[in-house]
Amino acid sequence: MKRRDFVKTMPLATLIPAGLVAQAGNALAGDAQAGNAEAAKAPAGKGPAPTASDGGSKKVVLPDYAGKLQTSDGSVTSADGVTQPGFKHRTSNADPKAPYKMPLTQEEQDIFDGKKGEELAKVMQIVVAHGNVFGAEKLVDLGGAPHCSLYTGTDYMKPMIKLFQECATAGLKTYAPYTVNPRCYDLYNVNNNETDMQLIYEGYKLQRDLDWVHAQLGAPDLNYRSCACYVDEVGNAPPPGTYVAWAESSAINYGNSALGIRTNRNAGGMELLCGLLGKAPLFGLMTDEGRMANWLIDVKTTKEPDLGVLGTAIGLKVIDGIPFITGMEKTLGTEVTNDNMHLLKKMGSATAASGAVGLYHVENLTPDAKEKGRKLLKEGYQTYVYDDAEQARVLAGFPVEWEGRPEDPTVCLIGCPHNTYKELLDWGTKVTDELEKRGLKTGAIPTKMFCSNVVRDHLVKEHPLLVGKMTQAQMRFTNMCTVSYAGMKDFSERTFGVTNSPKTRNYYPSVRYLKDDALIEVICTGKIPKSA
Amino acid sequence: MAKTFKGRPLLAGNLEGKALASKQPLNTTGSYLENLFGGNTTSAPCTDPNNKEFYKKDLAGAIICTTTTVGSSLGGAALMGVGDLGMGPKAMLFSEHVDSVSIAGLLMDDIWNGKRVIAIDLLGDEFLDAVKTGDPLSIKEDGTVEVG
Repeated sequence: MKRRDFVKTMPLATLIPAGLVAQAGNALAGDAQAGNAEAAKAPAGKGPAPTASDGGSKKVVLPDYAGKLQTSDGSVTSADGVTQPGFKHRTSNADPKAPYKMPLTQEEQDIFDGKKGEELAKVMQIVVAHGNVFGAEKLVDLGGAPHCSLYTGTDYMKPMIKLFQECATAGLKTYAPYTVNPRCYDLYNVNNNETDMQLIYEGYKLQRDLDWVHAQLGAPDLNYRSCACYVDEVGNAPPPGTYVAWAESSAINYGNSALGIRTNRNAGGMELLCGLLGKAPLFGLMTDEGRMANWLIDVKTTKEPDLGVLGTAIGLKVIDGIPFITGMEKTLGTEVTNDNMHLLKKMGSATAASGAVGLYHVENLTPDAKEKGRKLLKEGYQTYVYDDAEQARVLAGFPVEWEGRPEDPTVCLIGCPHNTYKELLDWGTKVTDELEKRGLKTGAIPTKMFCSNVVRDHLVKEHPLLVGKMTQAQMRFTNMCTVSYAGMKDFSERTFGVTNSPKTRNYYPSVRYLKDDALIEVICTGKIPKSA
Repeated sequence: MAKTFKGRPLLAGNLEGKALASKQPLNTTGSYLENLFGGNTTSAPCTDPNNKEFYKKDLAGAIICTTTTVGSSLGGAALMGVGDLGMGPKAMLFSEHVDSVSIAGLLMDDIWNGKRVIAIDLLGDEFLDAVKTGDPLSIKEDGTVEVG
């Protein structure tokens, strides 16, 4: 059934009536809800909406960075510049014939009713209401640890930060220490100019408040900040089958697929509420049915596929579907290890950035696929053949020219999602070896290696001499978010970034995606090879 | 002649007003840039040029009629943010299934802050075929929306 057809059959269920009917009929009528009812009865004062100019509103001067701060998840923009449905859940298994309320245990109902505090009651009410919208079967206990995507201390985050500060003040903490996406900026390891500093200090005015909230609720210090929370050094890699509530598109994508954990694609904030509760509504990607594949991706390239292009192609094709990928044994092997996790990360994050893929299966490799094989394919699945011609076609859609950008590359961005230890080691070795071979003392352009501090420290400990050479080669480690950095004000006008990240390229087409060999050539010479 | 549609009341309420309608989705973060980044607290002119029907229209206090919402996964936070400025919509009426991001923000603002934006989804394509900007609407808490 197509989504649109399914939607038409949905129930006329009142999920949150004007007076907020408590779950299973137990009333909870706080002041807030009474206020809601009054507000809801009021007429819409504005009526037909005038244009801004018609309305006579005062002239508002937008800072140049406006709109360039929302990065990392969700916005999927087509080649025509149209925002597509992105990183969201839009289906439901609710009974179409009756209002839906998921059953709660007595303990859950007690929390809902406020017997364990007002704040936790509200947390429970939000999580339950959210689950009801999507027809969740029940609440399930969470394991592992949460991963939170709330990382932007922008003004509009004020109510969200206030909500979680009130949780912290009430003494709530997540059920386990949780990981958080990297900060949007780095004050130390990149050369921020005055424009950058304006963005940092004016654009992220609430960063301190947000960081402090995280510290109170159970996040470790900033050295562990990473979108790749699952690397050994950061340590958030729950075993297969574990229910978690994560946010951050690439982490969810990797976790569901390569780790075999079970999380929905949560909105920013919902993951932390679930973390405080230690429970999440069971629906969607957390269920067996919701993890079935509706696309077979048949990879038939004559050489190993470019994983960035392949991931992008899959995302563009399946949008928010679930692909089952075949033909990858030679490229990816048959075990998920520290030696191939970066490859899965690269391909998967591209599927999540060009589309909204929250889970993929690779035949004979990823946990679900190893357990169930092609039984994961839903009846009526579609097939997408990815061969040399298709790879060339998709790659041709990656912009090569960009108006206003410097003529030659000015910076190399490696690691989005954040680098693993192996990636740091491989890139450091390859670049410094190549420079040495060419008799060059340093790289022609700086290279930013995006990673958590603990991953960087691992490399410093194991390969201090290499780190020295990397520093000499202008390879600097930074623990910020790559896409936030690439989204800084006027980045594309004053910077020509090149990257190995299909995710960064998807969000910022002004940043050019190149294969590893071409990137090394750029780092050495400052020029893009003609063959690239 | 008035037409009546029945949807799923996610955040129920009774309301009368005029519609602001588009058959294109609302970008929750991209539409409120003047409010979220410019500090505009007097109006909410839509800043998303991709939505030609909403672009430059005042979203503050509006009854937004659309398919669904798109944009960043922080879209829920954005809705809370404009609500905090008093520039949020009065109601959001969706022809399709609500998405997990916007409903998360609406539920958080409703339950935590007592700020309700009436939300009804699953009104069907026919709803958006019928409703035009400026049409009078009558919303009932059972999810009924009367157009005209």
